[in-house]
Amino acid sequence: MADSICRTIRDGALEGEHAPSLTIKDTTASPYGFDVFTHVLSQTASLILAGKSQSRGLVVVAYSRSPSFYLDYLKRSGVDVASSQKWIHILDCYMDPLGWKHQLAETGILPSNSSADSCLFQDVKDINKLHSLILELGSGLVGQGKVRFSVAIDSVTEMLRHVPLSKVAVLISDLRSHDQISSIFWLLHSDIHDVRVTTSLEYLSSMVASVESLNQSSDGLSGDLGNLSLLEQNFRRGKFHVRFKRRNGRVRVMNEQFHMGESGIKFTSVTVEDGLVSQGLVPKVLFNLELSEKEKLERARVVLPFEHQGNGKPIQIYDGRRSLAPESMGEVSADTSQSNTEECSNGGGEIIYFRDSDDERPDSDEDPDDDLDI
Amino acid sequence: MAATKTRTSSFSRNLPAASSAQSPEIKCGPNGTFLVSSGIPDLDKTLGGGIPLGSLVMVMEDSEAPHHMLLLRNFMSQGLVQKQPLLYASPSKDPRGFLGTLPSPSSPKDDKSRSHDAEQEKGLRIAWQYKKYFGENQSNLDGQRDNKQEFSNEFDLRRPLDRHFYTGQHVDCISTKDLPNIAALQERCTSFLSQFPRNDASIACTGRIAIQSLCAPQCESSNMEWEMLSFIRSLKSTVRSANAVAIITFPSSLVSPSFCKRWQHLADCLVSVKAIPDEDKELAKLLTGYQEIVGFLNIHRVPRINTQVPAVLEATTLSIKLQKRRYLVLECLNQAPVDGSSGSSYGTSGSCSGSSSKSGSLDF
Repeated sequence: MADSICRTIRDGALEGEHAPSLTIKDTTASPYGFDVFTHVLSQTASLILAGKSQSRGLVVVAYSRSPSFYLDYLKRSGVDVASSQKWIHILDCYMDPLGWKHQLAETGILPSNSSADSCLFQDVKDINKLHSLILELGSGLVGQGKVRFSVAIDSVTEMLRHVPLSKVAVLISDLRSHDQISSIFWLLHSDIHDVRVTTSLEYLSSMVASVESLNQSSDGLSGDLGNLSLLEQNFRRGKFHVRFKRRNGRVRVMNEQFHMGESGIKFTSVTVEDGLVSQGLVPKVLFNLELSEKEKLERARVVLPFEHQGNGKPIQIYDGRRSLAPESMGEVSADTSQSNTEECSNGGGEIIYFRDSDDERPDSDEDPDDDLDI
Repeated sequence: MAATKTRTSSFSRNLPAASSAQSPEIKCGPNGTFLVSSGIPDLDKTLGGGIPLGSLVMVMEDSEAPHHMLLLRNFMSQGLVQKQPLLYASPSKDPRGFLGTLPSPSSPKDDKSRSHDAEQEKGLRIAWQYKKYFGENQSNLDGQRDNKQEFSNEFDLRRPLDRHFYTGQHVDCISTKDLPNIAALQERCTSFLSQFPRNDASIACTGRIAIQSLCAPQCESSNMEWEMLSFIRSLKSTVRSANAVAIITFPSSLVSPSFCKRWQHLADCLVSVKAIPDEDKELAKLLTGYQEIVGFLNIHRVPRINTQVPAVLEATTLSIKLQKRRYLVLECLNQAPVDGSSGSSYGTSGSCSGSSSKSGSLDF
């Protein structure tokens, strides 16, 4: 659920632990990852402004949109950007990532204009510089002490165009383990990359939010024209699937539906479906080989054939001839009768044996069960 | 397993005389191997008494859960408590800091009541015709427990290990994060293992190597898959000829499938850990004790050194539980009795039990 994500980001990191990190991933089938990203961004920003979250500042590393876009978006979402200098810094990797305009300006071809609001970063291939700049900007916002700030990376997909995966992984894991970082979240377009990239980034994140389309087989090509309007409608909707890694080692899985409206993305909860996840995990054992407490007690109560002998009482051997009439019950030892009736009432079954004729002697070899003494 | 071996053939192994006077931390295993404890008594029992000296244990991590850390912690603590030299490699910047989080052995008065249950089951009740002439037989297992105390310990995950156990020359830590290539790690491992050569004399001391999250994405060298493969291979052969045990954990989803298979084949003992979904009603219905389970441990391969006889385990999937959030316990899975009134029967799936006495929503 989007709210739980925002709450986890708001709560931030505990002392000695890695900061919570979120991967938002989407595909071309349902390309609304950026909307989810901006939603989380605006929620985080409003929580920071209201003072309700652990982090006191936000550094946005912007690759795919310009800083002014973000400021406008935040203003539209109702976040007060007038005081933005104090709590947000947008690192501009969008305008001039490789420094070409700067080089052209130096040679005098292009006029140079520098924007005062955000910090222009012109060297995206240098990950160390990016790292130190993020930390510098962040501590510029919150000071040097114990106060933390959050980091939002616009699009790790863009970052991976310039920098190999291992360096991005190093950056993210360093940021996560830094004392001053409260939380970090980023966007990834998972179908552009290798599986390895996606799994590595998921390995590094404590929450994975994926944006999926409603119908699995929609790649835009299937579906006849008659259903076009339905397809369009369905395109605006989708599933929002989140996996939280909890501290006790379990994974919390949540599902929601979202809908792209005029004013942005809206989340609604989905009806609970039967979980088919568990079947893959449990091995196919058919029998329960352990005994519960109740079953152990029952087992202790079973009287085995010769067990009650040797206790000093006279030994009675059942030979099938005599029926256990009520008056002869008194002759049978008291403790066995009690356990027998208990057993009978528990088991619910009896063996009633009628001898063929009374002529047969009790100790005949034909029926060894005569010796049984129950 | 009892300390005495049953003679199944007329041949007997010519053990060196000094081996009978071993330290309690090493046990004699089958086929001329010596076993050390993994730090988790349940795992020792499943593996046949312990981990054989000279074997390479590989743990396949689940990227969603840190259960491999539980295994590593117990393994490392067991070695430190028994004063065995340790080499620890991890992708964090400060591996030594991790040593401060290792668990301490639990004191005997905190012992779980689970052992009491085990003893109760062991006593056989014999229904025997001539019992009335003789007294009852009772098997006495108390003698075994004293031995086990020194071979393996229960660890209390909430109490950190005393500092004097790991501040010593015999504990070495490496950070794999900034290593430019894997050769540096290989050299350290080889020089560490040269302290424990294997010869026919008695075992002087044993060593442990714990490598955490080999091939984590933060490590620079994680791209070089062939180099890592040859590192594991050389480590395996070096460990085999030394009196040591090495444990390597790696995130299996981050290695390409063909290399993952190769790495798995190199292991003497292969286990994998798996996370379970939280608050999953289906799983809660399927398993008893779901609330306490934090994950599953699958044993794929049991170390079989010096023998061709395969080991058939009763159960290859164990549940990882934290009892009272302190003690790591591995248990066989207990499936709750399935409600007979719901779901489809097994008969439809063609399993060997033709009559469907149990039914449920599972479909095999």
